[in-house]
Amino acid sequence: MGESRCFSCSVRQAQQQTPPPKSPQGRPQTTHFGFETISEALKEQRVGAVFSSVASSYDSMNDFMSLGIHRLWKDHFVRNLNPGRNPLTSSSSQEQGWNILDIAGGTGDIAFRMLDHASTINHDAHTKVTVADINPEMLTEGKKRALQTPYARSPRLKFVEANAEKLDMIPSNSIDLYTVAFGIRNFTHKEAALKEAFRVLKPGGVFACLEFSKVNNPLFDAVYQRWSFGAIPLIGQLVAGDRDSYQYLVESIARFPSQTEFSDMIKDAGFLVPGKGYEDLTNGIAAIHKGVKPAEKSL
Amino acid sequence: MAPARLATSLLGTLRAASTRPAIAWRQRCLYHSYDYAQPPPFPPAESAILSCAYAHVPSHGFTIDTLKLGARDAGYLDVSTNLLPRGVFDLVNYHLVTQRLALQNNVQFPEEGEQGNKMGVGAKVRKLTLARLRANEAIIHRWQEALAIMAQPTYVPVSFAELARLADEIWFLSGDQSVDSSWYTKRATLSAIYSSTEMYMTQDKSANFVDTEQFLDNRLQDLIKVGGFVGGLGEWLNYTGHSTINLLRSKGARI
Ligand SMILES: C[S@@+](CC[C@H](N)C(=O)[O-])C[C@H]1O[C@@H](n2cnc3c(N)ncnc32)[C@H](O)[C@@H]1O
Repeated sequence: MGESRCFSCSVRQAQQQTPPPKSPQGRPQTTHFGFETISEALKEQRVGAVFSSVASSYDSMNDFMSLGIHRLWKDHFVRNLNPGRNPLTSSSSQEQGWNILDIAGGTGDIAFRMLDHASTINHDAHTKVTVADINPEMLTEGKKRALQTPYARSPRLKFVEANAEKLDMIPSNSIDLYTVAFGIRNFTHKEAALKEAFRVLKPGGVFACLEFSKVNNPLFDAVYQRWSFGAIPLIGQLVAGDRDSYQYLVESIARFPSQTEFSDMIKDAGFLVPGKGYEDLTNGIAAIHKGVKPAEKSL
Repeated sequence: MAPARLATSLLGTLRAASTRPAIAWRQRCLYHSYDYAQPPPFPPAESAILSCAYAHVPSHGFTIDTLKLGARDAGYLDVSTNLLPRGVFDLVNYHLVTQRLALQNNVQFPEEGEQGNKMGVGAKVRKLTLARLRANEAIIHRWQEALAIMAQPTYVPVSFAELARLADEIWFLSGDQSVDSSWYTKRATLSAIYSSTEMYMTQDKSANFVDTEQFLDNRLQDLIKVGGFVGGLGEWLNYTGHSTINLLRSKGARI
């Protein structure tokens, strides 16, 4: 408890090094909301408002931002993590199934894919996913969608309302795989979230993040910037009647650290990273970052 | 993958190497300087998982299950295999790299100058190549799985580069220190001979692999007779290219 409070202080200090806001002195801590600088408390509220207002039109939003390929990225993300413990090839004395925590899991997109993969590819009927999201409306949307899957009332799927920066309800060293897809750029304190991820993971457990990232081809970047800044808020206006929320989403993507910066943040949190630490998807429109919590033996 | 494609990527690799011969040579020398301990080829956690997994290759092959067993043995979890970005290929690569580096300690030559039994470069090359092939014995019944993985388009360039490094190592350890233009020819020819013999070995049922040894000797004889770079390359592509494609076809790949 005390530890995490202390950590958030240091995060605040770090954030003060970003260009100072034009607000009067002696004001509460500030952070970024898209390109605006606002108070931290307000950010949590505003992020909440964005996702409340896009919860139902959520898929169309992701389609615009990813040029329609976020579904393929999610498929790749899950297939590559290969969740589940195959009873045919693993010794039976071991514990069964993986314990997966899907943070910012909102609509359950990743969770359903994980359970499908574990069941059909690895013949594993025990792997569990806990979907955590800060926003009750996103969770409601997820529970509604779960009704269309075989997992709705099974013990394999659970929804909890939680802030990624403070996962008190999740015991330390209890999770095999922590995933966060298109969520982390919305967190106010990314370092605090990484630290919580490290805490809840078992030694050897994996942190895996799918997020919009920095396009690595300058020409394509120019085109994509034009598209995301020019067209997406407009489409958001037309489709969802909500230009501001989409404007925020575009800006939050542009503000997110580059692939190497984010990989360094993962290392700073204590993780080992595979290879160069990330994998670019579609020219870097999105990227997958991974970290492995070291096991005792190798510490 | 068409043989032409294989050929192009091999030539690509060779050409890329030939644009920076000086640097390559210098690195080779530094790398081989005997005064310095070699840096470990893999970071500790990867090394722990891979070396534990390696012990399961004879029974479980080059598969993800082998990696998971290795992770468990090393005190990690199934999910920790995510530490290996290239999955099973990292295990194949582990075998290639560790066996290449082991050559230096595994092969000893008789002291030179005594009773005139000095080994020539050719005899040393033969001895080293054979030693490297013999290092496959424990896993040879699984090696076709590895070849199929190495033939995946993403891994072809890395696999060729590693093969070239093996050829360099063998020439170097045999005492061939020439820095002339024949260096690339030698590297390519030995690479070709090594990989065709290795492919032969995966199908060799003879006792103690005497047939493989014979096959190697015949290739080395050909080399001495014909001596041509192009000849060696062509034969290599015919043999390895075709067998790899047949193997992939037998596994259901549409090529
Ligand atoms: C873009 S959605 C991603 C949903 C889902 N993972 C997907 O890939 O489709 C971002 C989610 O992050 C959630 N979120 C934002 N800040 C959060 C925080 N601090 N802790 C947990 N969830 C948060 C939002 O409520 C929203 O549901």
